Amino acid sequence: MTEQTEMTPQRPLPEITPLTEPFWRAAQSKKLVIQRCAKCDEYQFPPELACTHCGSPDIDWHEVSGRATLYSWTVAHPPMLPYFQERSPWPVVAVELEEGPRMIAGIVETPVDEYEFGMSLVAEFEKISEDVTLVMFRRDG
Amino acid sequence: MIRDKTAIVGIGTTEYVRDIGRPELQTALEAIRAALDDAGLTATDIDAIFKIETPGEEPNSELEVARNLGVPNLRAWGGAGYGGGAACAPVVHAAMTIATGMADVAVAFRSRNRGSGGRPWARTGARVPGIGAFEIPYGLVGPVQQLALVTRRYMHEYGATSEQFARVAVAQRACASKNPRAYFREPITVDDVISSRMIADPLHLLDCSLETDGACAVIVTSAERARDLKQPPAYIMGVSQGMGPRHYMMSGLIYKENPFDFPTIYAARDVYAMAEIGPNDVDVALFYDVFSAMVLWQLEAFGFCEPGEAGAFVEEGRIDWPDGDLPVNTHGGSLSEAYVHGFNHILEGVRQIRGTADCQVKDASIALVAAAAVVPSSALVLRR
Ligand SMILES: [Zn+2]
Repeated sequence: MTEQTEMTPQRPLPEITPLTEPFWRAAQSKKLVIQRCAKCDEYQFPPELACTHCGSPDIDWHEVSGRATLYSWTVAHPPMLPYFQERSPWPVVAVELEEGPRMIAGIVETPVDEYEFGMSLVAEFEKISEDVTLVMFRRDG
Repeated sequence: MIRDKTAIVGIGTTEYVRDIGRPELQTALEAIRAALDDAGLTATDIDAIFKIETPGEEPNSELEVARNLGVPNLRAWGGAGYGGGAACAPVVHAAMTIATGMADVAVAFRSRNRGSGGRPWARTGARVPGIGAFEIPYGLVGPVQQLALVTRRYMHEYGATSEQFARVAVAQRACASKNPRAYFREPITVDDVISSRMIADPLHLLDCSLETDGACAVIVTSAERARDLKQPPAYIMGVSQGMGPRHYMMSGLIYKENPFDFPTIYAARDVYAMAEIGPNDVDVALFYDVFSAMVLWQLEAFGFCEPGEAGAFVEEGRIDWPDGDLPVNTHGGSLSEAYVHGFNHILEGVRQIRGTADCQVKDASIALVAAAAVVPSSALVLRR
């Protein structure tokens, strides 16, 4: 089995910390949550210990709609780690959530040559390990 | 307080090659000794050392450097983050230290085995910490991909083209063809760049910097002492560092409201203010060019053109040497001379001020040097 591990590179997984655990736990139940500041009402992503707009430590996790638009994308030739190399071409996208923040993600099913700036997307959840479900996106309509 | 109080009086490098076969500490010492010789100083004159730092790298500590040079005492030292954004920062700190009287002669250096040493992201573990936790599992692994996302968006918003990016690489290679230190000296065309292998769409191989081994160093001292030394001083008119709001490293541009709110914009504003000059006063610019597109962003940040207009600026040949009105990266830059985290650009700025560059800008009296636009950044203005 050791040999098989060597021949089948693992996908790198997120380290889950007390700060990021609410995000990953929500994803496991097919919810997308991001932080919002109780003082200035700004949403933010990625998670931080305080609001990066006003510095307030009074921030909470909020479920967001999952609706987003395609902001940018790239395809590495070849991708830089073995797991992705074996699955090349491997597009990576930046999406802009309806609520404002942007995140890095992947798009399921739609091939990269059909990507368009501003394309409507909706969140989708892909379980990749016991404790990690990635937030992906699917073309909406 | 700092303007014109200090000068770069010595420059030194090793060779720039793919595999230099010696540790970074050793090449650092070689470059520093060469810079001391150039200045007509010795290690016993040194009392401050500053360097570029990147997390996770060999430290090449000030301690080891000082010990191996035989420096009798250090009165100031420090490493400046973050990688290419710190390209100018060790000189910024050296100028501050000397202008305030904390030290008399400072070494600033960068030593890097990037050609033979492998890429930092190749060490990605099974579990990714920090911000990478939200990026690497999706396959966004290295700087070229991170900046490809930003570059594609820039093309979309401003109509910049791959041909315009290619013009940067072509102009710099033309300079490198006259530079005996340059790693790549064979002239190239726009077609060569856009037909080179795609690395991370839309960035081609020839849009990307070299990966080389080598070290560079400069010696900074007071303007007063500089006048008695071997070389014509390159006076330091302005220094700055700038980060801007809500910044991460390269991928973090995507998380900002405006991804083109580059740290270098803040460094540009402050370096001009200290030097009391504007873009019209600059004779030659040494811009951080880990990817060709970044040169366009610096042309805009430093006010040589409006946001979104740098593509046309480059296309009109305005950064070309010798005929452009703002020759850029006359040594070939990171795209053609060497990748030393942009520190080699400072040395070229000094050569231009001395009048000894291979592609000398006629009567160059003010040189602008800028660090990476997209990470916490730094800048210098040098004058005759
Ligand atoms: Zn806030």
